[in-house]
Amino acid sequence: MAKKKTIITAAVTGAWPKKENNPNVPMTPAEIADDVYSCWKAGAAIAHLHMRDDEGNGTMDTAKFEETVNLIHTKYPDCDIILNLTTSGDIHADDEIRVAHVKKLKPEMASYDCGSMNWLNSGLFINSPKFLTDCGMLFQELNVKPEIEAFDPGMIGNAAYYLKKGVLKAPLHFQFCMGCANGIPGSMKNLIFMKETADELIGKGNYTWSCFGVGHSAMEMLYGAVALGGNIRVGMEDNVMYAKGVLADSNTQFVERAARVIREYGNDVATPDEAREILSLK
Amino acid sequence: MTWGPLFLYYHCPKCSKKFKYELDMMTEFGDEFGFCPDCKVMGVYEKEGARTLDDAEYYEVE
Repeated sequence: MAKKKTIITAAVTGAWPKKENNPNVPMTPAEIADDVYSCWKAGAAIAHLHMRDDEGNGTMDTAKFEETVNLIHTKYPDCDIILNLTTSGDIHADDEIRVAHVKKLKPEMASYDCGSMNWLNSGLFINSPKFLTDCGMLFQELNVKPEIEAFDPGMIGNAAYYLKKGVLKAPLHFQFCMGCANGIPGSMKNLIFMKETADELIGKGNYTWSCFGVGHSAMEMLYGAVALGGNIRVGMEDNVMYAKGVLADSNTQFVERAARVIREYGNDVATPDEAREILSLK
Repeated sequence: MTWGPLFLYYHCPKCSKKFKYELDMMTEFGDEFGFCPDCKVMGVYEKEGARTLDDAEYYEVE
């Protein structure tokens, strides 16, 4: 029997950590492109990309996305990694700016945050019904696969609602975001609950899923994802520490560890083309 | 988009130890969330954040 394939997504920078948090966080388009290539060599099939402005803050600047994507393609022509561009890289960006780069670059995947929440207990992370509807329809038009980020079970319910309205099309792909403030805490019990909620609302066979844990739950979610038949996201967007008290050397270090866990468990690390098949991108 | 773990930062009113709890650990610590790990008394809340720049000065309770 063929081994199960597990997809590794590398989320290399995110919107918040800076060099002061970890000097190894990539910030510039060149640094991000280099990290993506290195993660791909280590086994990542998907790169989830955020951008930073010249001060290191999260930005939805289309030019930064374009520069980074072009660098990946021109500097590393052998790299066939799936690019998954965020639509949520700056909580102050308006709805149009949030999708401008998707319209221009037409990535294979882009994030779709399926509900609103308080951001770090200090601001609002707004994903209005209009934005989610427009975004879902735009993604269909452009043939961009939404990566549905669910920070709690209610967001899975919201995805089911948009599925029933035709805004989203099956098979869906979820990213269960575990352990983020104002979202569901990261634990095996909660990961199982997220999966069971999706089984009930979306239907087994109608979706694929991945997960990650921030902070202390990172390893629990890694092992949990593999054991429960899901996929895994790792990288400095979610964790700047490799272990307690130990700053990560690189994003590649996280990918290498995930690949080791996957292989030790008895699965294979999915290549980008295998991931395309699993996620119905082809 | 994520932002790493959110920590609540405290110091102990008895021994002045500086410590932090990851918000996500609330379910595990229950009523003892925020307690000084040495003196077992509720800490004095100072601030919150996704790893503030002086994060390393605070002992992580887990």
